[in-house]
Amino acid sequence: MTPPPAASVADMIRPVPLVADSQVNRDILAVMDRPTMPYWLLLGFLVVFVHAAGAVWVYQVYKGLGIAGYAHPIFWGVYIVTFVFWVGIAHAGTLISAILYLFRSKWRNAINRSAEAMTVFAVLTAAQFLGIHVGRIWKSYFILPYPNQRGLWVNFKSPLVWDTFAISTYGTISALFLFVGLIPDFAIARDRSTGWRKVLYTALALGWEGKSKQWKAWNRTVLHLSGLCTPLVLSVHSVVSWDFAMSIVPTWHATIFAPYFVAGAIFSGFAMVLTMMIPVRRIFGLEAYITEYHFDNMGKFILLTSLIVGYSYVMEFFIAWYSGNEFEQTAWWYRVFGPYWISTWTMLICNTMIPQLLWFKRVRTHVPTLFAVSIFVNIGMWFERYVIIVIGLSHEYDPAVWGIYTPRPAELMILAGSFAFFAMFFVIFIKLFPVIAVSEMKELAIHRKSHAHEGAH
Amino acid sequence: MPELDRRDFLKLVGVGAGAAAAAGCSDPVEKLIPYVVQPDIITPGIPVYYASTCRECPAGCGLHVKTREGRPIKLEGNPEHPVNKGSLCARGQAGLGRTYHPDRFPGPMLRGSDGKLAPISWKDATELVATKLRGGAGGAYLLGSDPGPTASGVLDKWVAAVGAGGRIVYEPFAPEALVEAAQLVFGNASEPVFDLSKADLVVSFANDFLETWVSPVEHARQLAEARDISAHPEGGARFVYFGPRLSMTASSSDEWIPARPGSEGILAMALARVVLENGGGSASERALLAGVLDGFDAERAAARTGVDAKTIERVGKALAKAKAPIALPPAGGFASNRARAATAAVLVLNQLTGAVGKTLALLPLPSDGKRASYKELLALVDSMKSGKVSVLLVHGADPAYSMPQTTDFADALTKVPFVVSFASSTDETSALAHLILPEHTPLESWGDAQPRAGVRSVLQPAVRPLQDTQALIDALLDIGRAVSPEVAAKLPTGSFRTLLEAAWSDADFRQVLQRGGVFAEKSGPASASLSPGVAKLGVADPVLEGEGDYVLLALPSPLLYDGRGANLPWLQEIPDPVTKIVWQSWLEVSHETAQKLGLVAGDVVVIETGGQRRAEVPVVPRGGIRNDVVALAVGQGHTQGLYASRELERGVNDPQGKRLYPLPENAGRQVARGVNVISLLAAATDEAGGRAWLTTKAKLTKAGRSERVAFTGANDNMRERMLGEAITLSDLVAGKSVVDPEMLGLAASVKERLQDAARRGEEMTPPAGVPAEALTRNGELIAFNPADDAKPGSPYRWGMSIDLDRCTGCSACVAACYLENNVPIVGEEQSIRGRIMSWLRLERYVTDGDIDYVGGRPPHSTLERLGHVGVRHLPMLCQHCGSAPCEPVCPVFATYHNPEGLNGMVYNRCIGTRYCSNNCPYKVRRFNYFDYSLETWPEPMKLMLNPDVTVRCQGVMEKCTYCAQRVEFARQPAKNEKRLIRDGEVTPACAQSCPTQAITFGNLKDADSQVAKKASDPKRGYHALHVLNTRPATTYLAKVVRGPVEV
Repeated sequence: MTPPPAASVADMIRPVPLVADSQVNRDILAVMDRPTMPYWLLLGFLVVFVHAAGAVWVYQVYKGLGIAGYAHPIFWGVYIVTFVFWVGIAHAGTLISAILYLFRSKWRNAINRSAEAMTVFAVLTAAQFLGIHVGRIWKSYFILPYPNQRGLWVNFKSPLVWDTFAISTYGTISALFLFVGLIPDFAIARDRSTGWRKVLYTALALGWEGKSKQWKAWNRTVLHLSGLCTPLVLSVHSVVSWDFAMSIVPTWHATIFAPYFVAGAIFSGFAMVLTMMIPVRRIFGLEAYITEYHFDNMGKFILLTSLIVGYSYVMEFFIAWYSGNEFEQTAWWYRVFGPYWISTWTMLICNTMIPQLLWFKRVRTHVPTLFAVSIFVNIGMWFERYVIIVIGLSHEYDPAVWGIYTPRPAELMILAGSFAFFAMFFVIFIKLFPVIAVSEMKELAIHRKSHAHEGAH
Repeated sequence: MPELDRRDFLKLVGVGAGAAAAAGCSDPVEKLIPYVVQPDIITPGIPVYYASTCRECPAGCGLHVKTREGRPIKLEGNPEHPVNKGSLCARGQAGLGRTYHPDRFPGPMLRGSDGKLAPISWKDATELVATKLRGGAGGAYLLGSDPGPTASGVLDKWVAAVGAGGRIVYEPFAPEALVEAAQLVFGNASEPVFDLSKADLVVSFANDFLETWVSPVEHARQLAEARDISAHPEGGARFVYFGPRLSMTASSSDEWIPARPGSEGILAMALARVVLENGGGSASERALLAGVLDGFDAERAAARTGVDAKTIERVGKALAKAKAPIALPPAGGFASNRARAATAAVLVLNQLTGAVGKTLALLPLPSDGKRASYKELLALVDSMKSGKVSVLLVHGADPAYSMPQTTDFADALTKVPFVVSFASSTDETSALAHLILPEHTPLESWGDAQPRAGVRSVLQPAVRPLQDTQALIDALLDIGRAVSPEVAAKLPTGSFRTLLEAAWSDADFRQVLQRGGVFAEKSGPASASLSPGVAKLGVADPVLEGEGDYVLLALPSPLLYDGRGANLPWLQEIPDPVTKIVWQSWLEVSHETAQKLGLVAGDVVVIETGGQRRAEVPVVPRGGIRNDVVALAVGQGHTQGLYASRELERGVNDPQGKRLYPLPENAGRQVARGVNVISLLAAATDEAGGRAWLTTKAKLTKAGRSERVAFTGANDNMRERMLGEAITLSDLVAGKSVVDPEMLGLAASVKERLQDAARRGEEMTPPAGVPAEALTRNGELIAFNPADDAKPGSPYRWGMSIDLDRCTGCSACVAACYLENNVPIVGEEQSIRGRIMSWLRLERYVTDGDIDYVGGRPPHSTLERLGHVGVRHLPMLCQHCGSAPCEPVCPVFATYHNPEGLNGMVYNRCIGTRYCSNNCPYKVRRFNYFDYSLETWPEPMKLMLNPDVTVRCQGVMEKCTYCAQRVEFARQPAKNEKRLIRDGEVTPACAQSCPTQAITFGNLKDADSQVAKKASDPKRGYHALHVLNTRPATTYLAKVVRGPVEV
């Protein structure tokens, strides 16, 4: 048997779950077993919460955006903050699936499925906010370049149009990537299930029989999709960052924004993967598949991106000072010492100081601490967007109209609703689809076995 | 019961089913019905103008009432009228709303025994009043504002015919002391009329003549004329303001000298003495005044006025040297119980400096009409208290609001058995009246006014009465005729309209109606002499009642005036020109006072002025007010009126800070909006019985709670950001430019573009006709030529210039913009949140300060200092940038650059991403947070909307369009005549209303246009936030800092 191309020395020395194929099937697919009462309660709570937030949104559409906290001149607030937050979350999935795939980092296998699912759901959640934040959602299709008699066209100079394309492209590709990856697993699930699930998985498996020809085609597809996704990881958040960088708002108009946002997105995305996977691993007993080794690697990633983000913060302050531009300087001082100082310091502490704990391997492998760090990073990254967007707009060029923005209950409800929305999809997902890629786990096991037969070590 | 036959039954069933079906539809069907017979003068889409007269204050400005399809939609100044010459202040413009006010009485109302008003017919109401008068008319009194000379004459006849007790004219801020003082000083009855236009030195003794005194629009125009920098390269008139507070008027001065309130007379005497010592006055005058001026040497005066002796000497010498100086007497809130003497002292000063005949005209008192008399009113209140008044007829005044509490007017009113109010909408007095006979609003009325001798101005109805109302005179004549045939015989016959025409029989009435009146300005005598009575002039410190450390200034509000504007929502929502606060009352205190009491902005203080008089009001600390003074504007504190009072239902705190909302029993209850400072004042009169306002001392104690103050301006520190720029006179004379050449370097990209063109051999020329010097400043190429920013081939590039040297901050432009463009009103709560919708705002900066990086919640810093004027009023509106940051970021082209250089805004296309506002450095864009079309204009206010301007829907952005509808209106005639729109044919609402003509609009591509000439001012012209290279079409002309007067 030809060793799979991914086999490398590094792979061989890395711990791989020592379980039999059938055990893999059983363990992983056990997650998909008949839901228990707590599951139903959780799902029920989430669904109700999403509807409550939806009701608030409907009221907002009826009454007007005045029920949110917008006040001249701060016209972007919690909704855009949350939009950017979720787009950021969506980055880890593709990074793990596509870029790490291309780099043949096999350790990603245990987490890539959930990360990919997260990506799709996060993009979905983010996309909601594009609609929620506009003044006239019933006219929001104007932003699409559809042919019409009146010859109206969209303004391709506007970063918001780029944004629309970036998000929809990213959503499409990441959904496709998730689905393609799931096909062999659907087949396993099909073979083990009965009733309506059987029908569902049969349809989704697209006639997968596990033939080598199919494996070959599948491998190539995944490879090509990875290639397609890789630039998107960098481009989507770059485009989102240009929503800000293309403007003339002091603290927004900066060339560092694209890499800074991408690093921040990966940073928050990895944190969110940890936040989601740690409870799932615990609840469904997947300790054998998601091991300390994975946490160690993820911790390193978070540490790296934290350093990049921290460097960006420092550079922004430095450039504000170095430029001698009074608008920038004033805005930056205001950011740190103005009335919004709590947000800024929350951001700085959560994003640059707390992740420094990850220098220690004991922290990286201590699951509860890691979980706590991931929560801090999530909070910090939400505040980062809040700081950039809200504080930037509060303190622009004309001092007579500097303003203060305070989020209103409606916005906070919809913000909370977005978490419920995201979680709801994830919770449904783990019962319907294998949360760890069965086929890829097996592939790892095969490697291990083949190497063991050679007995070379 | 009549039989119901089959046919009727079927009809009823049919109607019922139809009604049910119709009611089932979501929207009622509205039909547009064309005129069956079209009136001759009405062409749909074309406005018809009626000349009339403004009745919002006694100034008597001429109006052009713009009507569309029979409805008045906008008030503009009558260009032919000598008082306002085409301009109109904010109060005048907002007066339009009175006609459409939801608070108007639908018709006559009678108060039942349950205290509620119920409709009554005019016939029954007339009979009811007649019955009361039949019983004994001797106890009947008429109380009201001056209704104009003709009406005044008819009222006098009415009083005589029915044998009423008398008629009292009441005007809260009537300048009674002025006429009395003129009598005292010059020995004959005359009306001093001040003309600032020819002055070279204006000295105001706490006289806020740009806000509320006598004729603010006229005075503002005159001041601008006297200081016009193009006509007077040496700077024109200098303006010195003595007064304890940096008011809006003071902010236009060259030198603000914070004198102690009430010391104006002493100051005037001290200055008179300096003038005499420096050669002013004649020998006889010197002899006459020797004794009087004895105690007023500069040193002693300095101790009494708080102005140092050197300053007195300096200003006095300047007065003596000036060719045409003018001194303005204390007025408004500064009328003390020594007001006559103080005013007389100022008139003496005018006489000594030779102002009489040059800048001060002593015109004969108008022969018709009756002057306001506070003395008579106090006498009436006494008779009311003693039960001698049986019927009180109140018209055009709200004494229950505007009389001091200590006169017990409201109490006295309850002792009158029958009170009739002619108010057209609800106010405090009508709330206490037994019968309401609503009068027409001024826009529905005939009438006339006489602002001063020789100027007669007419009122004509521009619309049929919207409610079942009657003209005051017609109602009274009907009542008189109903009393008895004998009375009827003594009354003039005919309606008021015919009486008015008869009164104007000396002129062609048709022409009068066209022009708005007869304007035969009279001039006073070329000189006057002092009356010997001057020798006994008793100038002294005023007596202030109450115990406390602070003098309480009760100043007429520049917008609400004496409170009559409080129910007009525009006047509530236009920020106060000084503090930028809306919808509220606030107490201005100095920073030192605030520090002493441990107060920050918004902290509530208890203000006590003796007796039971106390109120709680949030403070606003300022640098521009003396430490021994606190100021509270007159105008708020109404308990009646949709806008003037607060509705509890909306959720407010009661004065004790208890949350009243959402208790159901409070639903719909009205409470006072803010504090009525009049209720804190001690009643006092001046020497001649005129009303005194500066009467009271106040004690402040901290209440220990705070309120949110509705500030609409965040910061008065401009941080050298090229916003409200100024240039010193010496720099201007030296040929320097307000634009720093280094700043020009920052906009180098555009400069390079032009230079590239030159290198390529293309001509680097501006559009035809723009002079080469318009492209350069001080030999440097200016960054760009705004005329470039239209589509090539377009004959127009619309542009604007705003002369900050002329802007006084009066906010007339803001009101004009609100009314022209259907700008919604958002109310107090939304204003606090910063959601005001004005397209044009007046920013107020106090020079450049140090860069304070952080700031806090507004008002962060105030750079005001005692004795320091550095205020720049900056009208900020859409700059219509050539390279507009808002345009590229809009994803749907809802905002775009039109071929004529305008920054267009397509409401229908807007989806409300609000990116345009985020990217606008001037922050002039507004967002429709709610559906204001449903909320802002309660019925019948919708009728006053301008049909040329879209009412914006929820969720879209909006902003200044440079009044694009007016450009379009001028386009068609030009097209018909195959010519271009001429310069001056288009005037945006803001420019139209500006009393000082600070705003000029026109085509920048036409080098001969006024705006092109002004915008290319090489020394004063600049663009706001120049460094951003947005290429604005709005050019500001820097304010000229003339500096203190020198000798």
